[in-house]
Amino acid sequence: MSIWDKIKHGIEEVAQDAERAVENLGQMANKGVVRSQTPEEIQRYSEWEQALRQRRLPNFVQNRMLQTSQGHLPWISTAKASELLLQRSHGVQPIGMVTGNCWYHFGYSWTQGHYDGWHTAVARMRLEALALGANAIVDVRMKVRHGEGEDMDYGVTGTAIRIRGLPPAAEPVVATVSALEFVRLLEDGVVPVGVAIGANYDWYMPWMGTVADQANQMAPFSARYQNMEISDLSAFQENVRRRALYDLREDGRRMAAGVLAHTSYTQMFRVAADQDNPERFLCRHISIGTAISYLPKNPPQHELITMVSLADHPLTSAPTSRKDLI
Amino acid sequence: MTDTSEHLAPHAVERLKGLRSQGSHEGIFTSDLSVNEFVMVRKANFEPLGLVVGSCIYHMGIQYGNWNQNMEMDVLSQAMYQARELAISRMEQESILLQADGIVGVRLEVKRMEWDQDILEFMAIGTAVAHRSGASGFKGVGGKPFTSDLSGQDFWMLLQAGYRPMEMVLGSCVYHVAHQGMLKSMGNIGRNTEMEQFTQAMYDARELAMERMQHEAQEAQADGITGVQLHEGSHNWKPHIIEFFAVGTAVKAMENADALVDGLSPQLVIPVND
Repeated sequence: MSIWDKIKHGIEEVAQDAERAVENLGQMANKGVVRSQTPEEIQRYSEWEQALRQRRLPNFVQNRMLQTSQGHLPWISTAKASELLLQRSHGVQPIGMVTGNCWYHFGYSWTQGHYDGWHTAVARMRLEALALGANAIVDVRMKVRHGEGEDMDYGVTGTAIRIRGLPPAAEPVVATVSALEFVRLLEDGVVPVGVAIGANYDWYMPWMGTVADQANQMAPFSARYQNMEISDLSAFQENVRRRALYDLREDGRRMAAGVLAHTSYTQMFRVAADQDNPERFLCRHISIGTAISYLPKNPPQHELITMVSLADHPLTSAPTSRKDLI
Repeated sequence: MTDTSEHLAPHAVERLKGLRSQGSHEGIFTSDLSVNEFVMVRKANFEPLGLVVGSCIYHMGIQYGNWNQNMEMDVLSQAMYQARELAISRMEQESILLQADGIVGVRLEVKRMEWDQDILEFMAIGTAVAHRSGASGFKGVGGKPFTSDLSGQDFWMLLQAGYRPMEMVLGSCVYHVAHQGMLKSMGNIGRNTEMEQFTQAMYDARELAMERMQHEAQEAQADGITGVQLHEGSHNWKPHIIEFFAVGTAVKAMENADALVDGLSPQLVIPVND
């Protein structure tokens, strides 16, 4: 969308604003059902506002977390019943469900927005886990919600756990796997530590057209019958991908961890030439994964037992969380 | 759960009687358990008694949010909560008639009626179960049957892990997300920035749903809530109105839990057929 389109769009919105305001007034007059905020609500919202700005939790959330961590309120866990066994076998104690989100508007970069949105949401979830005195957040689920314009909500939820014998962590680790799998990884000396994101985008403005266009100009009648690689587009796309994967690695490196990428996404558009700009291409690539930290020289400890399942469907591992996150 | 002194239809009573002839296990049971679930429920020393169901068709009140303000739509929140509660309590009523200890595998469904967008249908359905030896001590809050959305396998596992289900707990919050004004939208042109008002709305709505669910569990004297799911839905409402719905099973530790758990030595299985 060009800047003029946006302004036009904005003006249309003003018209809608006015329309709604009139509609609202009408409703108020007719039915008296438009509710306005109560003083308690206003208080609550201003607390949210301040807390989000200052990168902390509102007092009432902090309080609930404290009550939960001290056992005055019931613990909350997204885990299935089987994971409660881990309390005794591995000292894993669920404390509470933690969440974080960030609704983000893409101005100049959709790609950078994904990076910032997820990181902000995870940071907020971490704050809740800190308030609970947790060692880790497991079973972290990522979810997006599309806005009406160029915006999106990035949401994460998970279960904060405490591990018996460990002091509360200054920075709880974030794992997208369930508590069972978390423990299985821990037994093998592997620690999932967080979510890593690699995102990159670029514009390509071919001078004199792409390789295919040039070939067409040189031999207008024969080029289209020939097989040929459009090498400049290949190189452009490959570069964007490589830079995104480099970013993914760097994001992992910041956590001193390797990355198991579960979501990868590439998109390429052609934007036709207009008055101001020649024909151009936009390419973007995003990879999202779980960062895991381990010592490569230590081999896995678990023994393998071969077994045959008599069920008519094979045993399957936990469902993979390869969801549409873009 | 609210106590309802509702009268069940005569044919419902007749059906339930056929399922369990006055306290004996001779009746024929019905259930929607899978084979695996059925085996595991019996392994847990429970017998299925019958499918129990409760439903509620509810007309949602009308409420408008202020166009540019974040706020809870309390009329709708209450409606969603009360309707679910009614469906569950009717299902409970059936299980009391069956002299059940509890209900497993409860499914809660919401459907929109075609002819009117303000009418929603709520259904709660599950399998009533009773302890084989008639042992007491598995009942939920106030001697009523427990309710839970655990599958047969999960139910067995929960008991093995030294917990018993108390009650299915819910928290609901319907929220109106404020619209952004023109000035704010214009200000954001070309900027990569967070839309704080929207973030706040989603955060607050989720927080409210969770607070409510936790409060219910506290009322049920539970130690914790397991298997919590957080649903996000819009039941054909205007685009800026969403419901956050938290649901899970409140559980309580049993006295003899330690011995039970120590008797179990789980074996780790990693399926290699992906």
